[in-house]
Amino acid sequence: MRSRIDSLVELAGPVALVVVVGLVATTVSRANEIYALNALVSVAIVVAIYVFVGTSGVLSFGQISFVAVGAFAAGIMTVPLESKRGVLTEIFPLLRDHTIGNLPSYLLAAAVGGVFAFVVGLPLMRLSGLAAGIATLAVLEITHNVLREWTSIGPGATTLALVPETVGPLQATVGAIIAILVAFGYQRSRPGRLLRATREDPAAARGVGVDVHRQRLLAFTLSGALAGFAGGLLVHLLGSITTEQVYLELTFLTLAMLVVGGLTSLWGAVVGALAVSGLDSFLSQAEQGIHVGLKIDLPSGTRLVILGALMTVVLVLRPSGLTGGREFGLPTRMRR
Amino acid sequence: MMVASVDFQTLSDAIGLGAIYALMAVGIGLVFGVLRLVNFAYGQLVMAGAYTLAFTSGWPVAGSILACFAVVVALSLAMERAVFRPLRGQSPAVMLVTTFAIAFVLQAIALIVDLRDNTIGEIASSAAPLNRSVSVGGVDVRKITIVAIAVAVVTLALLALLLTRTTIGLHTRAAASDFRTARLLGVRANRVIGFAALLSGVLAATVSVLLTVQAPFVSPDFALRDTIVVLVGVVVGGIDRLWTATLGGFTIGFASGVINGALPTDKTVYLPSAVFALVILVLLLRPAGLFAWGRHAAAERV
Amino acid sequence: MAEPALELDRLEVRYGPVTVVRELSLRVERGEIVGLIGPNGAGKSTTLHAIMGLLPVAAGEIRVAGVSVAGRSPESIARAGVALVPEGRRIFGDFTVEENLRLGLAGRRSANGGDPLAAAYELFPMLREFRRRSAGALSGGQQQQLAIGRAIVADPDLLLLDEPSLGLAPTAVDGVFGAFGAIRERGVTILLVEQRAQRTVALADRTHVLVGGLERMTLGPADVDDTDKIIAAYLAS
Repeated sequence: MRSRIDSLVELAGPVALVVVVGLVATTVSRANEIYALNALVSVAIVVAIYVFVGTSGVLSFGQISFVAVGAFAAGIMTVPLESKRGVLTEIFPLLRDHTIGNLPSYLLAAAVGGVFAFVVGLPLMRLSGLAAGIATLAVLEITHNVLREWTSIGPGATTLALVPETVGPLQATVGAIIAILVAFGYQRSRPGRLLRATREDPAAARGVGVDVHRQRLLAFTLSGALAGFAGGLLVHLLGSITTEQVYLELTFLTLAMLVVGGLTSLWGAVVGALAVSGLDSFLSQAEQGIHVGLKIDLPSGTRLVILGALMTVVLVLRPSGLTGGREFGLPTRMRR
Repeated sequence: MMVASVDFQTLSDAIGLGAIYALMAVGIGLVFGVLRLVNFAYGQLVMAGAYTLAFTSGWPVAGSILACFAVVVALSLAMERAVFRPLRGQSPAVMLVTTFAIAFVLQAIALIVDLRDNTIGEIASSAAPLNRSVSVGGVDVRKITIVAIAVAVVTLALLALLLTRTTIGLHTRAAASDFRTARLLGVRANRVIGFAALLSGVLAATVSVLLTVQAPFVSPDFALRDTIVVLVGVVVGGIDRLWTATLGGFTIGFASGVINGALPTDKTVYLPSAVFALVILVLLLRPAGLFAWGRHAAAERV
Repeated sequence: MAEPALELDRLEVRYGPVTVVRELSLRVERGEIVGLIGPNGAGKSTTLHAIMGLLPVAAGEIRVAGVSVAGRSPESIARAGVALVPEGRRIFGDFTVEENLRLGLAGRRSANGGDPLAAAYELFPMLREFRRRSAGALSGGQQQQLAIGRAIVADPDLLLLDEPSLGLAPTAVDGVFGAFGAIRERGVTILLVEQRAQRTVALADRTHVLVGGLERMTLGPADVDDTDKIIAAYLAS
């Protein structure tokens, strides 16, 4: 059946790309491995954002809040008891006196992200456009503020360190693939297609009785859970986390990755994350001097300029993103 | 229970800040009106102006300010021509990310330029004396506050005249209201947008002069925080119409000033949360803006 | 003989993947009033929008006074002497009547002496009386007069009207239709798109029936009582 094969192909593209990056991570030197792993974790984050923003068309600046709570939850609960008692002296006993394993920490991260998203989404999903953008930005700001000040639930303004660094090529690749599978499953499901319809023709969708608020809430919650999970990946990759690492800069970077890749497709999310990550890594290297046929040695600071400039150029020339907003497909087939 | 104390100094400073934010709000609102684009890089215009003032701080004051205006307006027009114009009609997400990318680029360039002498930041102050207080009716008010309020009032008045009494102003208002119809009546799209970018630049330059007097130290993230705050204020006030956007900018500036000055520091750690929770509440109750009314309030702008 | 005020040559206009207007050929000579009627979705408005440059032309030619205008921006076509009174009037409700009229001056080619708004006030004296009122406060019929007045102050050679009688009470329609004669006398050529078939057929020199994007039939004022013929035109497939 053609559509079945089409689906498999659509899924195979992103998965294959991620697997390739994972393999690359195993072959390069330790110093370079971090770039590849970073790229894979970025995939997970951007795919999580895509699940909501790409499907509903509503711009949210708040998804990184869920990455943040997921990261801190997974991090705090996996720091070894001895260190935790010594460093995080003010946190609640429930948090201080228990630790959980690696896999449970991912589940916890997803759960915390999902619940938080649900609670936030209940009132907020009625909003659209700029109002939604500002309201979700407000959520990000509140999350940042609370995480920074409330020392009973975490390290506050200090770095949360000594988190087990369990994310190597295997966990990063599997994590990214899990995110892709969940996103793929959602967008093929009935709720996913209903929500996409509301983006493409809101009036018609309401006309046939689609409950926009409910569908958005579902996507938002799922996105939050996935983002929380990605936060778990992030903290287990870095071995530490601070509130500044999951705040405005990451928000804009991941949003830019999504838009540059192509806002409306899963393929776009994956391509965007990998492309921008890859470029960023390359430029970081170039700042230190590398040989790629010719010697490239960029003055320091130009990396950011080039990154931003290239993103601008891509968007001006091709506003629908690198993938044109389309899913991965074999060249011989006609895509919508 | 500690009672917050609001003295006249705090109040006047808050009005001064509100005045400056009102100017920024107009700059953002004008561009949004005709382009339906939120210019995240607006703060970078202010930053560029501040840097120009810093680099020309040896010049006579008038020359320095003139250079500031020239650079900022040129930058604003360049942004419009090179980026906003090709992107007209794209989805809000694309335009937003692109303006953010530009903001990013400009900030990074400033960082490079700045790092050449191994320090970040320049001092731009030939007008530092304005920071001192003067006695008005027995109460202390900083001179710069008076200047800021005066400049804001005059600028806004001139702008209002420009928009209501001139042909280009009429065309701009029409374009902001219904671009398509304006065009089929013969209104030149590019001219109107260029005009909005010009005015936006002039306002940004004005703000950079006023801000550098109060905080003469200029760094790459100069005015970044302010831009986000003003943006929130503009949307909460009502971005659809210029005067509601301006009022929103003023209100959030004034509120920030009062709250910051009134509460003792140890009580202010959760202040951002309180403010943003309030923002969410307002947006839930009135998505089109606090001051929007009538058909504008009914519209859920997507 | 001078070129026609408007000539459409096998015009084709698409709306996304759907072809809304196909193979439409039409001539409007100077000083004529030509009507364009047809059922909903027939492509009448689309034709006007394409002439005005608001929609891209997929195939065919549009010539105004002999000069091709396909591909030009709406404002440049407005400045070439074409004025459109859009469907639903689209006046600026927050502006005054006078400001709305002044806006119409944007399409004016040359500044003759005297009050440029005089033409509109002559045609619709009500506008002078209400000139300082907010345009949103006017009734439907008055707004329609304002929309037409706004187009007239641009001193166009060709006036396009998109369903001016839409949503108006019969007396208001009289007021609007009554102005067309006066407008023609000023030397303006009129292409009128309408739903009210009979009034249009009675008024216009010629009326074309557009169905499914194709021109089906041409009617003259003599056919105004021949309802069978008109219905047949609408139902022709």
